[in-house]
Amino acid sequence: MPAPQPSATPEALVVDGVVAGIGGLTLLHGVSLEVEAQAVTLLLGANGAGKTTLMRTLAGLIAPRSGRIMLFGQSIGGRPPHLVARAGIGHVPSGRELFPRMTVADHLALGGRLCAPERRAALRERVLELFPAIAARLRQQAGILSGGEQQMVSIARALMTDPRLLLLDEPSAGLAPKVVQSVFQTLPKLQSQGVSVLLAEQSLTFGFAVAKRAYVIRDGRIVLTGTSAELSANASIVKAYLGA
Amino acid sequence: MSFERDTLGRQPRNRLTPAAAAFPSRGLQAYRAVAGLTILAVLAAAPLLSSGYILQLATDILTFVALAYSWNLISGFTGYVSFGQVTFFGMGAYATAVMVLHTPIPWYLAIPIAVLLAAMAALLLGAVMLRLRGIMFALGMLGLARILAVVAANWSFAGGAVGLTLPAQLTPNAVYAGAWAAALIAFGLNAFYMRSGLGLSAMGVRDDEGAAQALGVATGRVKILTFVLSALAPAAVGGLVAWNRSFIDPTSAFDPNMDLQLVVFTLFGGIGTLWGPLLGTLVLMLVGEQLWAYVPELQLALYGGLVIVVVLAFPGGMVGLANRFGWLLRRPIFAPRSFPAAIVPPPAPPSRPPDDTILEVRDLSVHFRGIVALDALSFDVRRGESVSILGANGAGKTTLFNAVTGFVVPSEGSILYQDRPVGGLAPFQRARQGIARTFQIPRLMESMTVWENVLLAAQHGRLSRRALEQTAWALHITGLAPMWLESIARLTPGQQRRLELARALALAPTLVLLDEVMAGMTRDEQEEIRGVLRRLPEFGVAAVAGIEHVISAIADISDRMIVLDHGKKIAEGAPAAVLRDPVVIQSYLGEVR
Amino acid sequence: MLVLQILINGLLLGGMYILLAQGLNLVFGVMGVVNLAHGAIITVAGLFTFWFATHTQLNPLVLLPVVFVAMLAIGALLQRSLLEPLAGVGRKSELLSLMITFGLSYVLVEIGLDVFGSQYVSLPNLQTTWSLGGLTINEALVAAGVLGAAISGALQIWLQHTDSGKCLLATSQNRIGAVACGIDVSRMRCIAFAIGSSLAAAAGVLIIMVIPLAAQTADSLTILAFVVVALGGLGDYRGAVLAAFVLGIAQSAVGYYGGGDAESVVPYLLFILFMILRPQGLGRAAQAQ
Repeated sequence: MPAPQPSATPEALVVDGVVAGIGGLTLLHGVSLEVEAQAVTLLLGANGAGKTTLMRTLAGLIAPRSGRIMLFGQSIGGRPPHLVARAGIGHVPSGRELFPRMTVADHLALGGRLCAPERRAALRERVLELFPAIAARLRQQAGILSGGEQQMVSIARALMTDPRLLLLDEPSAGLAPKVVQSVFQTLPKLQSQGVSVLLAEQSLTFGFAVAKRAYVIRDGRIVLTGTSAELSANASIVKAYLGA
Repeated sequence: MSFERDTLGRQPRNRLTPAAAAFPSRGLQAYRAVAGLTILAVLAAAPLLSSGYILQLATDILTFVALAYSWNLISGFTGYVSFGQVTFFGMGAYATAVMVLHTPIPWYLAIPIAVLLAAMAALLLGAVMLRLRGIMFALGMLGLARILAVVAANWSFAGGAVGLTLPAQLTPNAVYAGAWAAALIAFGLNAFYMRSGLGLSAMGVRDDEGAAQALGVATGRVKILTFVLSALAPAAVGGLVAWNRSFIDPTSAFDPNMDLQLVVFTLFGGIGTLWGPLLGTLVLMLVGEQLWAYVPELQLALYGGLVIVVVLAFPGGMVGLANRFGWLLRRPIFAPRSFPAAIVPPPAPPSRPPDDTILEVRDLSVHFRGIVALDALSFDVRRGESVSILGANGAGKTTLFNAVTGFVVPSEGSILYQDRPVGGLAPFQRARQGIARTFQIPRLMESMTVWENVLLAAQHGRLSRRALEQTAWALHITGLAPMWLESIARLTPGQQRRLELARALALAPTLVLLDEVMAGMTRDEQEEIRGVLRRLPEFGVAAVAGIEHVISAIADISDRMIVLDHGKKIAEGAPAAVLRDPVVIQSYLGEVR
Repeated sequence: MLVLQILINGLLLGGMYILLAQGLNLVFGVMGVVNLAHGAIITVAGLFTFWFATHTQLNPLVLLPVVFVAMLAIGALLQRSLLEPLAGVGRKSELLSLMITFGLSYVLVEIGLDVFGSQYVSLPNLQTTWSLGGLTINEALVAAGVLGAAISGALQIWLQHTDSGKCLLATSQNRIGAVACGIDVSRMRCIAFAIGSSLAAAAGVLIIMVIPLAAQTADSLTILAFVVVALGGLGDYRGAVLAAFVLGIAQSAVGYYGGGDAESVVPYLLFILFMILRPQGLGRAAQAQ
């Protein structure tokens, strides 16, 4: 993780009017948002609203049909996903997408390929400190780990790429609340280490606690935005979610 | 929501099959008839030229035409590519020879019996191998030819490695006539497929086998039948060629080079088309005749190279190229000259008690690899109801639909449709009984026109005037009549969704299952779809169940809402109440408000 | 004693078969394509080895590394030009790639026929047999079996313990996860095909010492390799090892009692049996699906 520094641009990520979709359908109808540097930004929305489609577009898995995506001022829209990863975006996909027959240690090593060699060892230590539960399971195959452990491995793998921006896509999905809590407790630590985070979540409970700014997406459009304090007090957020 | 695995977000294109279909003009039809008859006359007259060389060449060409058409039938129409059609050729050759040499059966009976034997073998083989993935089938056929060659080489009854010598009983003219007959039969079968419901079903298997099953196509039977039909002509020419050469041995009867030739001829001409195999065979054999005199040692390499070039550069073959100029386009199947002016609505369903239960799900549980997708789920859908099913991803909604339509087998519990259990019924059977579904991402048949996509569902495996009327009606009420002959690629996403609805309606369903039918639609498109959905009861649909995330679009047209969470039902009731239910809000937002 | 003889022959044969099959498995795991030209590559490499051994006085095993490296370059070129344009999703691109490798196999067979002729050939040296306490052990079979297993083992070590190997394994297990680690999936496909072809070529160098090869029967080797891979479960390396030994021992036993021709039918019969009874294969990975 990069050492904290005064940022030249206040935004880690600027998304401007992105239109994207798959299979002939348009699922994002001109999405715009900003991710502040060294902070956690929240993307809220019910399922089907477009959160994962947006995350995948930002990660390069879906090519945007129009609009701009700027990472620290550099345009990355349209780049293939492995180059997006190299540009400094760490993607923790919904569904985790681990390598089932490879060990936890392998996952860390594969992520670590994108980290500068001289920083790799220190980075690995810090990552294992963040997730002691997996530190005990380095030699186990990812396919047999529990849901919570798999989620931690997925985040750890992305962190090992030494990203400037972390895309966390629904890390709480399918996990027990206690586990979710321990996962979310790592976020402030990441922040202090200089990583910017875009967190896509359906649940409000944990999201507001760690994020400064939040966006609500529905049917492929941003319908509400504000600080966590503003939104958590806002009753209309229910309507924004359910649209009824 | 499901996502394609293409990491570049590209949409896979259907490269192997021609995209468009159209009606030939009357003038063109006349021109073709004349040209066709002229060619037939010329070819038939070849024996009169009495040059043995030309007669032999003509016989060879006709042999390959028959083989190419047969390969086209199984590989082009169903998409199950077979790399071992020569198996049936060899079977025909050996069966005929053995019968003639060792039994008193005369040659004119031996050949038809050999064809029958090959058909039975195809039935057995197809039943085993067509259940598997396409690639297993392809390689299975490849291996089969080898096994038979080895068996023949070791069976002294069949002459062993040396082979069998046949007494000359057939004149070259007779062999020629026989090859003609086989080619005509093979061509006829292709032409039949091009114009029939069976062919339409086969194309459905090729384009999207799973979707075809959901539309009532008995894909297993279609595949096996096509495979059996594809064995007939090769067995016949195998028997004939045995006479022509006066001897057969394992290498020439199960010649892998012959496999290469019929693949390249058909690919070059245009796989899956009516004229492709003929054109490809004619052109390449005539060119080859000249060419091999000069470079006999390059034949395999050039053919192999040609396969590569065709697949990379013009997968539609010659006919595909011609299609780009508007020539040789396929005729849409069972389409009238113009869209019917009079729309005949479906007959009114028999009156039933107003309160009967259309769908009942009892304690349904589905487990996959340790994950519980559905957990003792129970609910029902009564006649006249429109039920919306909500819930987060992974909540089990699509699994529920897959279980109801037969694509997933429940681990526990039961599903009753119109008070009868559906367990044990294949997806196509459930579709035919009136359960229709749409898919999250439209799964339309890319090589068919709009009309044919709907007809595939309307025909229920058998064509009748009622099916045509049903197709026209379904297109009319979804507003797709103006583009009835368009290819799928030209439709907007909204039109694609409506086409899926039209297909579902063409099944004359009692229960319609809609899977995120509003996803990705603009406001206007949502309105159009809502218009159709509101009228569903008018169309004989007794009940609707819809998975949906775009709640605003369906809240006012749902009678009831059911919310799932982690495979369990957590709420059920009128929309207004459900959307205010704290449990539901908590499930969505993660906290009580 | 007889049982032991059959077992030993079977195991050695199995060692050779593993090498035969792993290249196909690698290509399938990463690209989802069954390379129908696999047998042709084996055969051409074997014929070349024969030519080399009979025209120079050097030990044909010297060719092993040479052929391996040469095939890396050739395989990479073939993948880039012929298969990469089609790399995509869905059944259609699978079948189209199959057709391309089908065409490619005939091109290679033609090269084999034109350059080396259509006779069955096999190498005369290394035909000595040793007698060990009543057991007859064929030197060529030992060389082929042991080297085959060794090369296969080296492949596994490379896949599981080196950085580049792990990238390849990762790509075959989860593409989304792979690109998230910055892995260039397109390059992985090229590498997989290059190595898969090299393994096939290496197998050819070894096989020519044990069984006679001819250009026109190249595809029977493709089928043999495919049978091992299918029996083990497509893409499953450990399953393939098990399947290779099962096949080797089965062939050895049948060959003893039934003769050479019966022996050659064994792979096909096993294949058909498995297609009917257990199409997903023997491997544990297959069970997990």
